[in-house]
Amino acid sequence: MEKKTFGITLRVWKQEQGEQTGHFEIYKIDGLTGDISFLEMLDILNEKLLKEGREPIAVESDCREGICGCCGLVINGDVHGPDEHSTVCQLHMRRFKDKDVITIEPFRAAPFPPIKDLVIDRSAMDSIIKAGGYISVNTGSAPDANSIPIEKAQAEKAMDFAACIGCGACVAACPNSAAMLFTGAKIAQLSLLPQGNPERNIRVLNMVKAMDSLGFGNCSNEYECEAVCPKEIRISAIAKMNREFIKANFASEQ
Amino acid sequence: MKLDSKIPSGNIQQKWDNYKFNAKLVNPNNRKKFDIIIVGSGLSGASAAASLGEQGYNVKLFTIPDSPRRAHSIAAQGGINAAKNYKYDGDSVYRLFYDTIKGGDYRAREANVYRLAQISNQIIDHCVATGVPFAREYGGLLANRSFGGAQVSRTFYARGQTGQQLLLGAYSQMMRQAAAGTVKIFPRREMLDIVIKDGKARGIIVRNLVTGELETYLGHAVLLCTGGYANVFYLSTNAANCNVSAAWAAYKKGAGFANPCFTQIHPTCIPRSGEHQSKLTLMSESLRNDGRVWVPKKKGDSRNPSEIPEDERDYYLERIYPAFGNLVPRDIASRAAKRMIDEGRGVGPTGQAVYLDFADAIAKQGEDKIKEKYGNLFDMYYRITDENGYKTPMRIYPAPHYTMGGLWVDYELMTTVEGLFALGEANFSDHGANRLGASALMQGLADGYFVISATLPNYLANAKFNSVSESDDEFVHARESVSSKIKKLLSIKGSKTPTEFHRELGNIMWDLCGMSRSEESLKKALKEIPKLKEEFWQNVYVPQNEKFNQTLEKALKVADFIEFAQLLVKDALERRESCGGHFREESTTKEGEAKRDDENFSFVSVWEYAGEGKEPILNKEELKFENLKPTVRSYK
Amino acid sequence: MNFKYIVRMPFSSIGRKILMASSGLLLALFMLVHLGENLLILKGESAYNGWVDLLLSNPLIPAMEVGLLVLFLLHIFFGLWVRFEDWKNSRKRNYEVNKSQGGRTIGSATMLYTAFALLLYLVYHMIHFRFADHSMGFYQMVTEAFRDKFFVSIYVLGALALALHLSHGFQSAFQTLGIQHEKYTPVIKATGWIVSALMILFAFISIYFFAGFDAKLQYEQEKVLETVIE
Repeated sequence: MEKKTFGITLRVWKQEQGEQTGHFEIYKIDGLTGDISFLEMLDILNEKLLKEGREPIAVESDCREGICGCCGLVINGDVHGPDEHSTVCQLHMRRFKDKDVITIEPFRAAPFPPIKDLVIDRSAMDSIIKAGGYISVNTGSAPDANSIPIEKAQAEKAMDFAACIGCGACVAACPNSAAMLFTGAKIAQLSLLPQGNPERNIRVLNMVKAMDSLGFGNCSNEYECEAVCPKEIRISAIAKMNREFIKANFASEQ
Repeated sequence: MKLDSKIPSGNIQQKWDNYKFNAKLVNPNNRKKFDIIIVGSGLSGASAAASLGEQGYNVKLFTIPDSPRRAHSIAAQGGINAAKNYKYDGDSVYRLFYDTIKGGDYRAREANVYRLAQISNQIIDHCVATGVPFAREYGGLLANRSFGGAQVSRTFYARGQTGQQLLLGAYSQMMRQAAAGTVKIFPRREMLDIVIKDGKARGIIVRNLVTGELETYLGHAVLLCTGGYANVFYLSTNAANCNVSAAWAAYKKGAGFANPCFTQIHPTCIPRSGEHQSKLTLMSESLRNDGRVWVPKKKGDSRNPSEIPEDERDYYLERIYPAFGNLVPRDIASRAAKRMIDEGRGVGPTGQAVYLDFADAIAKQGEDKIKEKYGNLFDMYYRITDENGYKTPMRIYPAPHYTMGGLWVDYELMTTVEGLFALGEANFSDHGANRLGASALMQGLADGYFVISATLPNYLANAKFNSVSESDDEFVHARESVSSKIKKLLSIKGSKTPTEFHRELGNIMWDLCGMSRSEESLKKALKEIPKLKEEFWQNVYVPQNEKFNQTLEKALKVADFIEFAQLLVKDALERRESCGGHFREESTTKEGEAKRDDENFSFVSVWEYAGEGKEPILNKEELKFENLKPTVRSYK
Repeated sequence: MNFKYIVRMPFSSIGRKILMASSGLLLALFMLVHLGENLLILKGESAYNGWVDLLLSNPLIPAMEVGLLVLFLLHIFFGLWVRFEDWKNSRKRNYEVNKSQGGRTIGSATMLYTAFALLLYLVYHMIHFRFADHSMGFYQMVTEAFRDKFFVSIYVLGALALALHLSHGFQSAFQTLGIQHEKYTPVIKATGWIVSALMILFAFISIYFFAGFDAKLQYEQEKVLETVIE
């Protein structure tokens, strides 16, 4: 069964390591079919560049099934590409047609410094988790797993927030480079679980402080983050974080 | 090579307790004086960093991606087993132990597996305490499902993202230690060599993937938590960064490599669509709880599945294995699919697939119910194939997924090199020749949270450490050898890309040493791999960039895969029996089923490196079954 | 009470937003009251002036005026601070293809612009009404101003800016204060739309007088009266 092939033009952001800025490089690529994933299309291009003795485009991906959070591109202005609530690695070329011109840019945000081409440094997100995105319990000291029942609906809600893959799309989509959805999701998850309760006040205070000091912006409630989140994390995470923050500031002795 | 498995005395129930009581401890004040190097941040690496950090050791953790949270454990979908028996359906530690040994086709070590089953319950307790949002019943207690052919419901799960939730749990515990200052994380580092001094593992050489610099780190013990090597097949369900390099470096420094031929092929993956394919995507085998697997009865039947009437379909798993039907273990299901395809009854444009049909389940339970159970998998299938699994049967094909083989370890998880430990998928210990579903997560966390934190202190307390420095000969030499390897790769300036070599290697491995293996095919592979290796070192092209260079990273991985493939095939050739994931065409029953040979092969093959260009040496650890009698694994 | 807990509020991203949001919500409440007062003007001179006299006779009014001023200043101050932080943290280089991901609305994207428009309008409004000559009576002062084309255009623009500002600001404030619930958020959002739509009534009042509806009405009333007498 021979499928019809098509060709596209790519405008790809190229930025040398250590350089402050870069430029768009134009590439043409033919012989594509709809079954090819977007990243495989870039693989094909990179193989071609290598064959020509040119340096390939630096671009990151790992699991290629939408769970590791490694990949992340802005394609024609769409964070993670045109498919709703998915990652770049899940995007397939059937979303494009012959002679399309596709602009590919890295996630841009102040706290995500560029490394090379489409590769950026997102370690600031780890630093937010480090500030309190955990429950303090030592290995081997836990009571029986069924000793605290948790309402099913509440556990499901915690899971909704826990689904975050840490890809940074929310930050990249936010006009203020805010990490509210990312931070809010972790705070919401842990504060919905009874196990996370003892630390809830200190957690929200420390994580918000870390988020601010790392250079992430304020929330202007534009909900762009919610619109791009591949795991469909809702802005109720941010509201929950705000609530926790108010409580911690006014009601607690922290 | 001396293989002392150090199995503690006592009956199987008491071995772990005996061990822990007899193990030496390290005084809390002394712990921070010990530097522990952990390579890899998946379930076992992250949990080991957390538990050792909690005890006060000085942990350094190295990981390839930008964040430790991206390790491939994150992609595990189905669940994690534990012998909690919350369902009161007859489960027990002993039954989990029995199922795991039997599922592994009697090629695992009893004492290790029993310990795993014992610890399984603590894992669930700890994970819940760390905020893992497992699925729950309306009463608020934890939910369980049956998984991968088990006859009890012992699998805990968090939707289809159990691996993710467990990894994020372990990651968060590690980040807590990072905040406490006991764990230091080094992302974007790839380990390229291990340094042995005075017979002990004392440090590693890593490449900083951003700057390209070689960095040296010293320690009192090195823990390899580097996962499996399924990417040796090029197309597998593993992530792009999964590799054998760390384990291979350990092997070359004297660590025995055990059972490399034990690889698992997962039956429910999305078939490949063409040459461009970069990886295969797995769909949870929970799909087989409701989906029915079939192929047309007629060869080369290219009709649309909806046009094939019921009586012209062959529901072959239900036909051949009436007792387990569509729920037979992975190796059985995969091989059956291969047989159908080899008979010319494969479906889809490539003929390399079988149907997984939900029509009956939808008719009985309604589409909503199916959507609720597997909605995310149907979405994933649709995204990749552009086909609606609710309306037309899914096409599936087996794909390499997990590797049971790995570095040989003793009961303490120490390899044959003193002070060098291997945890999780990187070691060989618990799954024998075939792993049961939902057991990988269990093993990763058992090793990291509970085993190593008890066995490493025993090593540290007993060992005598001389002082080491970066300028010692061993370190200088290791750095030089890595550096010259990189220089060599950069200097070849050939005409083929590392990916092309990887793809060729994958083709050799899949065709000649894949789901079924014969003496002839393996011997052929043993001829082809060295040729590929030779060509690689003469004709690979890597761009001249010593800093951030993904092609160089890939070339380093492929170089090790090619060398390792040779060992894998050799092991497959030596093991002239069929067991678990290893299927030798010469060793079958009359019906064509796998035939195990306990008389001659009830051992662990442990391969010892003999030097460049020399044949590796085969050592054997005899397997003693004192509690369970090896029986024929039948699912009919 | 330990003061440092309160002082640290504005030094955090969420704290600043909370202060901006709560002052904004109070201002929205004031706007609703203000609108109610203004609508009284449609009832005629005696009704309006009577209410204003009653209001001014309240000794607490100067204090409330100061309170209102503080609210405005807080809202402006924290709004600017938030914006300054956002500007500081925003991406160094914008996307080549810059587009909405589907979350923004016209209201949310123009908050800063409507805010500045409102500030300018407020100054204008103050000069014209608050610090103007009140001797002719409030009704007379307002209705006369509304006969002016320029003034009415400013007034209409101000009301539209306010409506746009509140179309995002109202529900956004609730989100910032953490009031988000599957059941009630749709109600809050609907209320937000209604409140911002109501703000257009400010424009309606000015147009009402500009178009001379009051005179016509008066004329018609008189005519009705006349016919009754006849």
